[in-house]
Amino acid sequence: MRNKVLFFTNICLLFCLNVSIQAQDLLDKLEQEYPDTPQYQLATFKASRISIGHSVETRKKGVLELQAFTRYWNIPNSSGQSFVADKMGARIGVEYGISDKLTFGGGWSTLDGIFDSFLKYKLIRQRNDGKGAPVSLSLFQNIAYRSERNPPLIDINRFDNFQDQLSFTTQLLLARKFTPQFSAQISPTYIHRNSSAFTDDPNNQFAIGVGGRYKIGGHVSIVSEYYYLINPLESITTYDAFALGVNWELSDVMLQFKLTNTWFFSEEAFITQTPNNFNFNDGNLTFGFNAIFVLHLNQKDKINTD
Amino acid sequence: MNKLIILIFLLINFTDDDTKSDQFITRQGQVSFFSYTSVEDIEAKNNQVLSIIDISKNEIAVSMLMNAFVFKKSLMHEHFNESYIESDLYPKATFEGNIIDFDPSETDTQTRMVKGKLTIHGITKEVEIKTTIEQVNGSFVLNGDFEVTVKDFDIKIPPILAPNIAKVISIKFKFEYQHYEK
Repeated sequence: MRNKVLFFTNICLLFCLNVSIQAQDLLDKLEQEYPDTPQYQLATFKASRISIGHSVETRKKGVLELQAFTRYWNIPNSSGQSFVADKMGARIGVEYGISDKLTFGGGWSTLDGIFDSFLKYKLIRQRNDGKGAPVSLSLFQNIAYRSERNPPLIDINRFDNFQDQLSFTTQLLLARKFTPQFSAQISPTYIHRNSSAFTDDPNNQFAIGVGGRYKIGGHVSIVSEYYYLINPLESITTYDAFALGVNWELSDVMLQFKLTNTWFFSEEAFITQTPNNFNFNDGNLTFGFNAIFVLHLNQKDKINTD
Repeated sequence: MNKLIILIFLLINFTDDDTKSDQFITRQGQVSFFSYTSVEDIEAKNNQVLSIIDISKNEIAVSMLMNAFVFKKSLMHEHFNESYIESDLYPKATFEGNIIDFDPSETDTQTRMVKGKLTIHGITKEVEIKTTIEQVNGSFVLNGDFEVTVKDFDIKIPPILAPNIAKVISIKFKFEYQHYEK
């Protein structure tokens, strides 16, 4: 008897299953036909910088970025006659996508005469199909050469020979796109300075950067970044770098506007040697403007290659 | 008793297969779109479009992933997905409709209207698309082109970039079907 009941329920189940297979329409059928290729999250951040620091993003293969970063600030109690701002700093740089995962870049900053170059490698890509990695991870390594003494500020490193003026920054850039609008990044940073002018100062410094963006439109996002320095310099008082800004993207151009407290562009300089805090006093409040122009070089014609 | 169940199961599956022989599928359908303006030409192609037709009911369905479109410039791909089509929110474009007066036994090329619902960017519109249908070795090849208005699908273009993107986008498609087998 019990067997019979089981038998009939089985039959019923089978028929139900069969009916449901036939009842499903063609679109549902296509849903099941999608190949199981991994789907990666696109554009956790839009540019290679969130605002002042590097983002997890690398350039695609064959993409050349031309960059002009500028900062403007006033000298406290200045009686000068400068136009708009008393002082400015700039960094001219390029970035090139060697492959979709590896980006090489370099630049030169005016204020401190730092020549910097870096490699950034995208190790893990966040997937948006619920499988695989929930975060993206990029490795960043830079080498910076400080070519000029910086008269208004105390020199932190020695200038005796070439090696003395070098510093190295290593970062793990860990980011997650939580929603289509909101992405956040945490970047543990290790900075090694080859020489110290003062014996009190640590040669190896550690910092943690946090940054985020919130898209307020298809092309505009609000960004913020903060670098917490774990073991600051002893010889001078330094403050943690902070930035609050707006990124605006137009076709091949990316414009980044920001309010910040740091005048420097290279990682070791702005993370460890920012001499002023973030507030609205003259000399502290710095307006920053990054212009990034993207050129597509050497990209094979992906449309007509099949 | 168990053998009987298996027998019935097979029977059901067999009849199931019978109805499926009227269906044809493609997994490498091609859809490309073009936006020509005096400022900039944009074109993109998707070679992984899924489509299925049921010749017993004259039904057709198309489904594609928006991020599978390839562009000449990688930045265009990012902008298309991130800023315009918002593929995080609306990953797919789909079409579902009927081929009007389709005669599967006709061996010559026939031109027919396809009437149905096109869904892009989460917005569904009734459209009529002209297509040519060719019969090749017992299977079918569909070819055609049509135009869509960007505004109809609520795709926002900032005024400063309006000259770069055409108001009407032309779309081409080509589907080479094969017998559908599970």
